[in-house]
Amino acid sequence: MGRLLLTWRLAIRDIKRRRVQAALLLLMIVTTTTTLTIGLALHKVTDSPFARTRAATMGPDIVAELGPTPGASRDVARQFAPLLRAPGVAATDGPYPIGFARLTTRHIGVLAETEGRDAAPAVIDRPALTAGRWVSPGGAVIERGFADALGLHVGNRIDLNGRAFRVAGIAVSTAQCFYPVSSPGLVWLTRGDTEALASSAQPLGYILNLKLDDPSSAESFENGNAGTAFYNAGSNDTKPSLSSWQDIQRQDFKVISVDQKVLLIVSTLLALLAIASIAVVVGSRMAEQTRRVGLLKAVGGTPLLVAAVLLAENLLLALAATAVGVAIGQLVAPVLTNLGNGLLGSPPTPPVTVTSVAEVVIVAILVAACATVVPAIRGARTSTIRALNDPAHPPRRRPWLISMSAWLPVALLLGVRLVARRVRRSLLTAASMTIAVMMVVAALTLEHSDEVRNRAAVIGTTTVAGRVTHLVFLLSAILIVLAALNAIFTTWATVIDAQRPTALARALGATPRQITAGLATAQLMPGVLAACLGIPLGLALYGVAGGHVEQASPPLLWLAAVIPGTLIAVAVLTAIPARIGARRPVADVLRSD
Amino acid sequence: MTDTSGSVLAASALRKEYGKGAALVRAVDDVSLEVAQGESVAIVGPSGCGKSTLLYLLGGLERPTAGTLQLAQRQLEQMPEAGLARLRRRALGFVFQAFHLVDELNALENVELPALLAGASPRKARERATDLLEQVGLEDRAEHLPSALSGGQRQRVAIARALANGPAVVLADEPTGNLDSAATTDVLRLFEQLHADGQTLVVVTHDERIAATADRLITMRDGRFVDETKLTGGTQRTVTEIAGLDG
Repeated sequence: MGRLLLTWRLAIRDIKRRRVQAALLLLMIVTTTTTLTIGLALHKVTDSPFARTRAATMGPDIVAELGPTPGASRDVARQFAPLLRAPGVAATDGPYPIGFARLTTRHIGVLAETEGRDAAPAVIDRPALTAGRWVSPGGAVIERGFADALGLHVGNRIDLNGRAFRVAGIAVSTAQCFYPVSSPGLVWLTRGDTEALASSAQPLGYILNLKLDDPSSAESFENGNAGTAFYNAGSNDTKPSLSSWQDIQRQDFKVISVDQKVLLIVSTLLALLAIASIAVVVGSRMAEQTRRVGLLKAVGGTPLLVAAVLLAENLLLALAATAVGVAIGQLVAPVLTNLGNGLLGSPPTPPVTVTSVAEVVIVAILVAACATVVPAIRGARTSTIRALNDPAHPPRRRPWLISMSAWLPVALLLGVRLVARRVRRSLLTAASMTIAVMMVVAALTLEHSDEVRNRAAVIGTTTVAGRVTHLVFLLSAILIVLAALNAIFTTWATVIDAQRPTALARALGATPRQITAGLATAQLMPGVLAACLGIPLGLALYGVAGGHVEQASPPLLWLAAVIPGTLIAVAVLTAIPARIGARRPVADVLRSD
Repeated sequence: MTDTSGSVLAASALRKEYGKGAALVRAVDDVSLEVAQGESVAIVGPSGCGKSTLLYLLGGLERPTAGTLQLAQRQLEQMPEAGLARLRRRALGFVFQAFHLVDELNALENVELPALLAGASPRKARERATDLLEQVGLEDRAEHLPSALSGGQRQRVAIARALANGPAVVLADEPTGNLDSAATTDVLRLFEQLHADGQTLVVVTHDERIAATADRLITMRDGRFVDETKLTGGTQRTVTEIAGLDG
């Protein structure tokens, strides 16, 4: 009990003593676990709202559609007839006329799909009104996702192909995907109004809703009776196209699945960033920890106790961060699962399963173990006296870099030699910066992709691609903030590590400005590497995330601007810690040795 | 104000305080000092008497709380940090008790560092460093890292480094404090040689043997100069006699 108390006390005291380092470690793990939690929780998050809406609207198992064809009304009964007689069909409803019309409201003009309905409730697919009343002559009902995107409310006026309508109601349905998954958006009118909007240039099509004896067999029914939706010139036996309710559900889920893919990629990047940052934090604490190990051993602590203290300290931070990360993930996930009101009811809070928590905890424990194992082993192996006197891990000598740097201006000379002292740290810094640059490049590529451009042309950015763009930009911002924090911390670690050589350089005549520039240069060099690697890797990341690089054309100037942009950002971020480091009293540093 | 026209280094009523109120510590208290060109001054005193602080003040590594300071005809106390650095570069050389060599640089690279910082061409810096290492008898150790050198050798490298830019004054803080007797003798010989060559030296030391080689011996206690002895031209005895190594 006493030993446990001692372990706990030592761990807590050290965390309190190293608050900034502890906070950074905490922040890194929190961000990683949050993103991981969201990514894992988003799995099939649309299932419940879809099922709820389907039940409430008597959703069809199969929707059969005959695309708009000239003279379709003459053949419609004949073309739907085989479906009416098909085995497994329990009930049918329709056919209902459908067409396309130009919807204009408040200076916005978009294409809309119209569907003619009777005033009486249908047997199958009764769109559930969330506001207003059902269709009447001159009164339109707008699909909720579409109404939200256009900012329409009950009572608003709209024009369809130049004819005035009033928004009578707003409704949801599962006979078709909600907007923006399905575009153009859906407007229900009376049969008469729908037919009146048709012309020879904009002919009518028809849909028939079917209920099956076994709804779960909808996909096999669809496969067995597949047809083609649109009119084939010269063919008189166009078959209707079929969509099963599972198809529609999957399409609705696309909104989330794209987000989920992006989130999982980003959480992997965040994990890498966290590992890079943690390695820097742990590395900078290593000498200190080794001395502490020596001290604990000197007062009678066994290597096991020493390891326990270190593990307790890191585990405490990792588990606290995991708890916070899971909680934040829970809070943030519903924001990302907002389906644009296309389905009934709020999306459920994504479930935190035992598996997902276990996965997140395993990541956290691995982090804690990594941060513990090296100093613990080193401390256990090192003699007590040596551990007490152990200076920081001696810097490596790289003769060619030292010789080459002699030919450089003083600031570069100092910068190159600082990098040469701790090449591994510089590589870790480069890795974390590369991750941030990759995300920026991927976001730029996405912004300039054909998909986003085409979707944006339809209406605003409230499309799937628009959502993903926003998500990518949001996550890029998170990654950039973390990479920035990492750059600041790395600079500070370099400042601390190099305080003796920099103080010495000042005693030998280097000015504070030269020292500041040298410290900043030591960070700029990884920045150059990051910018050069980040561009091709960012394009590759865009490809891995499902984008088509060949259909995306980020302006070359923008991509080129990533290099100076990265360097300016690094210079600004590192200037303050470097300046503080360059202005520490020289005498204090030299005297302390 | 003291006439300092003949001095290469002059301090007047120099004071350095740390802390405030009851915790106020006066590390250097009303110290005045003039060091003539080519003169060797030794400052002795017990630990914590303010010797090292005074040396750091004289070298512009710390700012005085009060008083004036002149080095190579330039006033130091109001000089901006960058100006102080530039002045240190050409007018001062430091020798520290803990050597303060850069671990990852070999002896030659350590010695050429001040010249490179001063903007000398790498070739000239290398030539000068090679000469200096020869002067301190370490030409065969030029490629060795500090970790492969003995304490005395490290201090000799540090002395060579202090001379890299031909400074007006060399300030040495306990240069033999970390050395054994044999290494101390080597360093004493070097200081004697420097003195003989006309190098101005200010040495803070516990070591009576090194103090005995100076022109002037100043005793310091509680931040003040309490005694000053002129040892005209330094001692007439040789270093080995002083060190008691002449058999």
